[in-house]
Amino acid sequence: MKAGDPRVLVLIPAFNEADSLPAVVAELRDDLPDADILVVDDGSTDATNLVVRELNVEWLRMPMQVGLGAAVRAGLRYACQTGYDIVVRVDGDGQHPAALIDRLMDPVLRGAADVSIGSRYVSEIGARLTVRRTAQYLLGRILTVLTRQQVTDPTSGLWVFGPRALQLLRNHHPSGYPEPELIMFLSRNRLTVTEVQVRMRSRLAGRSSLTPRRMGAALARLVLLLVIVPLRSSVGAKDD
Amino acid sequence: MTDPVQIVAIAVSVSLLVLVLDLVRRKKLTEEYSFVWIICALALLGLSVGRKLLDAVALALGIYYPPAVLLLVLIFFVFVASLSFSVVLSRQRQQIERLMEDVAILDAHVRDLNKSSEPTPGSTRRRTRPT
Repeated sequence: MKAGDPRVLVLIPAFNEADSLPAVVAELRDDLPDADILVVDDGSTDATNLVVRELNVEWLRMPMQVGLGAAVRAGLRYACQTGYDIVVRVDGDGQHPAALIDRLMDPVLRGAADVSIGSRYVSEIGARLTVRRTAQYLLGRILTVLTRQQVTDPTSGLWVFGPRALQLLRNHHPSGYPEPELIMFLSRNRLTVTEVQVRMRSRLAGRSSLTPRRMGAALARLVLLLVIVPLRSSVGAKDD
Repeated sequence: MTDPVQIVAIAVSVSLLVLVLDLVRRKKLTEEYSFVWIICALALLGLSVGRKLLDAVALALGIYYPPAVLLLVLIFFVFVASLSFSVVLSRQRQQIERLMEDVAILDAHVRDLNKSSEPTPGSTRRRTRPT
């Protein structure tokens, strides 16, 4: 890494991902040798913490499960405090191939965008229309209208945050299942967001924390937020 | 001229007031959350004792059975109280999240400090006590 290159931190929020984390970390090390890795363990109840200690990565452990949004917020604040310029958020289940990240970081490194999102669906043709996919499609359309920018994958977990985004989100990253609210929030605060098409895999091991009940709760919350977030005033990026 | 409903209403209002004040005295209820209940109890007490006031309010609102005003007041205050508790709860949820985030971050910093103050092989520096 040359002096003056931006310092990159890969942030992996993890809840009960002991089985998949070693492979995820190994892959990131191969494909992004210059980046540091931070695992934020959201109070896992399996062996995640033990696994993380063996991986020789930086890690945070939430004392109890607080939810994905707060875990990411903690990671972003840690990244700011320890002097990173760019944070890449990657899921701990292995569905995001590390080789994609360079391409995803490119718009942020070039200064063309503050935030870059890996989308599964930018140019999707003839996909299977499951209930889930249809809901995501509709949500994407709504967000596209609300934020006046293309949103095709409103629940993607693959993000790159540039310096301006870090300053804003270290304190204001939304809680809960945060992605759609985050997209609205960034647009509300006039940060530029771009989508990059990526091909994702299915998770390597373990289970998603998104149960039908949680998904219902997240959806209800989201419907409310679609109305509320545009009504909120934007926040200054500098307040602490 | 007192009918049973008035006696019951006065008794309930006084009990509520005494209960709230006693909870504050025993520090089971902090002052800031007691105000809504104290105002509620005083309003009920005022309307129960001052029969004329109750009748006047009932007449103004078009309520034919004056003691129903007491229920209305009670429901109003219960509504306000639960809403304010939801606000408090939400604020506390945010505070707890923030606390947990900072605990996790501080824990990482402490770990770093301990690691950097550990003796390297051959050095004579005293080891900091592990927490």
